[in-house]
Amino acid sequence: MGAEVDHVSLMGMSGGSAEGNDRSEGQRFSCKNKLTALVVDNGAVCRAIQTALLRSYGVETEAVETGEAAVQLIASGATFNLIIIEMLLPVLNGPETARQIRAMGAQSKILGISAFFDERHQQEFLAAGADRFIEKPLSPEIVIPIIWELDN
Amino acid sequence: MDVVVQLQRQLADHTASLFHEGFLNEQFNQLQQLQDESNPDFVVEVVSLFFEDSERLLNELAKALEQQAVDYKKVDAHVHQLKGSSSSIGAQRVQGVCIPFRNFCEEQNNEGCLKCLQQVKHEYSLVKNKLETLFKLEQQLIAAGGSFPTL
Repeated sequence: MGAEVDHVSLMGMSGGSAEGNDRSEGQRFSCKNKLTALVVDNGAVCRAIQTALLRSYGVETEAVETGEAAVQLIASGATFNLIIIEMLLPVLNGPETARQIRAMGAQSKILGISAFFDERHQQEFLAAGADRFIEKPLSPEIVIPIIWELDN
Repeated sequence: MDVVVQLQRQLADHTASLFHEGFLNEQFNQLQQLQDESNPDFVVEVVSLFFEDSERLLNELAKALEQQAVDYKKVDAHVHQLKGSSSSIGAQRVQGVCIPFRNFCEEQNNEGCLKCLQQVKHEYSLVKNKLETLFKLEQQLIAAGGSFPTL
């Protein structure tokens, strides 16, 4: 974090529509299509913030606390465009969760995430089928381009 | 002098000093931007979660580090959680101490870990205090009939 990003230009990425979220200053980026996301994190604070952030861009977001719950959800037929998985989940860790989700044929974009960027963790996640590994916090700079890509 | 104007000034000064002194960073602004009509108490709710969570983690860390045979994997997991949550709300100084904390953990350096635990407890209590003051000022302002802009 601490990157100097021009938020005005990020906000200008929307189609200029007035729907989505009403902000006192200007428009907030919002996705055009119905996008869905799943947040998998055993920490309540991160779950709450990541969920709120995604929802603020119009992404229908669910959150679960464990890898097992995520796997169960997908096994029951739920599909998501984007799945964000914390590395250090207890029992079924992040990469193992990703592996099981991929094994079920899920085509979702999978983001591994953790408090510390660690190359070993990155390798584990990518080997398990995740598309990317990032360091917390989940920021607009990271998430807007991903949503935009999924939306187009 | 108008009470509302006075409170607005106090709030603005207090907020500015929090950023200036490095207690909070830009990520806290992100939280404020997520607060709106459909989520009117988002910041207070999330920060309250952070307080609860941090206190639990600090207790767990103290317990884990006083064991005969310290389980550093457990300590590491707690430090990860603390860094994750503090970085997500923009509690920059708390987040900062987690970095050397994790390094000491990897080295299985008990003394280093204990020092970091003391430091992180200190930083946490400072930021908790300042955030509680912030919320109190906001409440007073609203009670006096004023409002505050979200950054």
